[in-house]
Amino acid sequence: MSTSSRPVSKEEIQQLEAQGCRAESWQDLQVSETFDPARVQNATFAGKVQLGSNGGTVAAGGRLSKPAGIYGAYIADCTIGNDVRIANIGSHIANYAIGDGCCIENVGTLETSAGATFGNGVEVEALNEGGGREVILHDHLSAQLAYLQCLVRWRPKLAEQLDSIAKKAVDAVRSDRGTIGAGVTITSVSRIADVNVGDNAMIRGAASLTNGSILSCPEAPTLIGTGVIAKDFIVAEGATVDEGAIVGKSFVGQGSQIGKQYSAEGSLFFANCEGFHGEACSIFAGPYTVSHHKSTLMIAGLFSFYNAGSGTNQSNHMYKLGPVHEGKLERGCKTGSFSYMMWPCRVGPFSVILGKHTRTFDTRDFPFSHIAATSDGRCEMVPGLHLSTVGTVRDGAKWPTRDRRKAPQLRDIIDFDVLSPLTVGRMLRGLQKLRESSESTDRSKAVVTIDGAEVRRVLLRKGMKFYEAGIEMYLQERLVDRIEKARGQNGASLDVCKDAVFSEEWIDVAGQMMPWGRFETLCERVESGAIGSVDELQSAFAQIHELYGEDEWAWVAWAYQKHFGQSVVEMSADDQKGGAESWRKSRTKFLNLIAGDAGKEFNEMTSTGFGVRPDATERDDDFVAVRGTQDGNKFVKQIQEQIDEVSRRADSI
Amino acid sequence: MASVQDRVKSVTARILEVDESAIKDDDNFSADLGAESIQSIELVASFEEEFGIEMDEEQALSVDTVEKAVAFIAQVCQEQGVEV
Repeated sequence: MSTSSRPVSKEEIQQLEAQGCRAESWQDLQVSETFDPARVQNATFAGKVQLGSNGGTVAAGGRLSKPAGIYGAYIADCTIGNDVRIANIGSHIANYAIGDGCCIENVGTLETSAGATFGNGVEVEALNEGGGREVILHDHLSAQLAYLQCLVRWRPKLAEQLDSIAKKAVDAVRSDRGTIGAGVTITSVSRIADVNVGDNAMIRGAASLTNGSILSCPEAPTLIGTGVIAKDFIVAEGATVDEGAIVGKSFVGQGSQIGKQYSAEGSLFFANCEGFHGEACSIFAGPYTVSHHKSTLMIAGLFSFYNAGSGTNQSNHMYKLGPVHEGKLERGCKTGSFSYMMWPCRVGPFSVILGKHTRTFDTRDFPFSHIAATSDGRCEMVPGLHLSTVGTVRDGAKWPTRDRRKAPQLRDIIDFDVLSPLTVGRMLRGLQKLRESSESTDRSKAVVTIDGAEVRRVLLRKGMKFYEAGIEMYLQERLVDRIEKARGQNGASLDVCKDAVFSEEWIDVAGQMMPWGRFETLCERVESGAIGSVDELQSAFAQIHELYGEDEWAWVAWAYQKHFGQSVVEMSADDQKGGAESWRKSRTKFLNLIAGDAGKEFNEMTSTGFGVRPDATERDDDFVAVRGTQDGNKFVKQIQEQIDEVSRRADSI
Repeated sequence: MASVQDRVKSVTARILEVDESAIKDDDNFSADLGAESIQSIELVASFEEEFGIEMDEEQALSVDTVEKAVAFIAQVCQEQGVEV
């Protein structure tokens, strides 16, 4: 933006007036040294206005380049940067600092009111419509910060400190003047009021934007598109809100996409979420929460790495003192078409939920489970079934490759591991519960109930087998990883790092996993004031993230001893070879199960819908033409490559 | 004691809720008897309990017909020293 300015000259005023321009006071108009009055036509200036140089052009979309300047606008109390094009402003632009190279065309109103906070300070009633878990929006919000503020309410001192930190961030942006960053395009928008817009953002055809911030940067431009109505919002870098979306009291995280008439109210969406067609109300959508279909309502729940099937719905119609919902689907869950859950409910990680559930259950200790509803709404669980299904493996592989975040600073910390101390720790607890149930249940009983879920008795042992296989494969794999790492460091030991923190229990802080001990320490530091700003809090989360591998190894060392009765630290070379050999077997068996599950996609039943006539050859040929063959399938080939890689690695130990 | 075949059919009928007398040897568990993937798991678990054996998951789930199940279970029983 121009720093050197001067009053507009008499000659320039004459020319401007001849071109249909007016000013409340020409003395209040400052222009740059290289100001070209020919490029200001039919403009009215009110209050103090500063104009930059205007001899250049701006990119106006559609490969068009248009001359900078002001053509048909009422501008009040604004600072306008160099080479900005402002044209066809229906009402006015007031109280804005507009950066260099912006193009603002066909806009009704663009204004800032006194003391605006631009969406900062809006309290979002996530997870619980009735309140009590409000998250204060601000420009530096991340999934981890929001999680602390929303969920850790049993520590009132922490909540108080977090409120104070958030309010400081809100005060920092409070202003009588809004900001449009450099290189911003705003076209065909009816009304923008009290909205800050970051560099290179594109606002095209939005209906109305009120009290918000559109965070954006050259590396990750943010798009607000056609027909969008947004009020009390913050949209983060690289996000897209488009195609008639309605967003109220909500945060849209980096790389997220909201569109196709999606409606979000009182909700938080963090990195790489997708919301199309459906509706969100008071949800905390952790990273990679996805809802693509019509008639899908996500309400008052906590989600992450989640995929909502069409017609997914949750509710609690039994409330008496207000709508207390509070459902938690831990990371990696999926809900099938027209699944319904009666909140409150809690589902363990990576579970699949099908059917209409009208009873409350809590399967947090049974990750990877298949959770179906009986015809009368009871929960029927197959523990651990999805540990070795192709869908889980594909999901785990796809998320890291679908990270759309391009901004220099990634707000949300995301740990992608499917098997981790969090999930394997739950499996250990689930295994214990299944074992106790199996030992105490008579064979005459067909079904047992555990934590509100029914399990067919014969499947208790099956669930134990699934979990044992998963636990052992994970522990052996981490052992092999560590041995490889140690050898790469010229004889470094398998010792647990002195900086590592061990906790038997781990927590998933909206995408970031950590030992409970680290979480407690973080909370204490916030409570004591040792952490007193958003930056310090983000930095603390980042430091924990850096030590994830060492913390994980501390946990693995403990779990290995507990499960196998052997210390990884004191392992001889032969013990290590034995561990690697066991891993070869468990991992290969697991991969073969995945390949077998993938193979079901190519069996006769799957091809039922293919072909036109009742002719088996035609059906099979049609199927192969569309779906390919099992041997030629990319995923199946990758599995085979992984099996070969396992052997190579095991041999090298 | 009933034969392996009879016991396999009895378990199959109970889990899949079909008429035992209507189960044919060459019936496919999925295509003919309507077993869904979850029921396949339950079938394997129920066969293990019925015969007191442990079956390899991968091999057991690849068995697709009643007669193959009978042969597979008989073989596993022999390998694990279970009298049938």
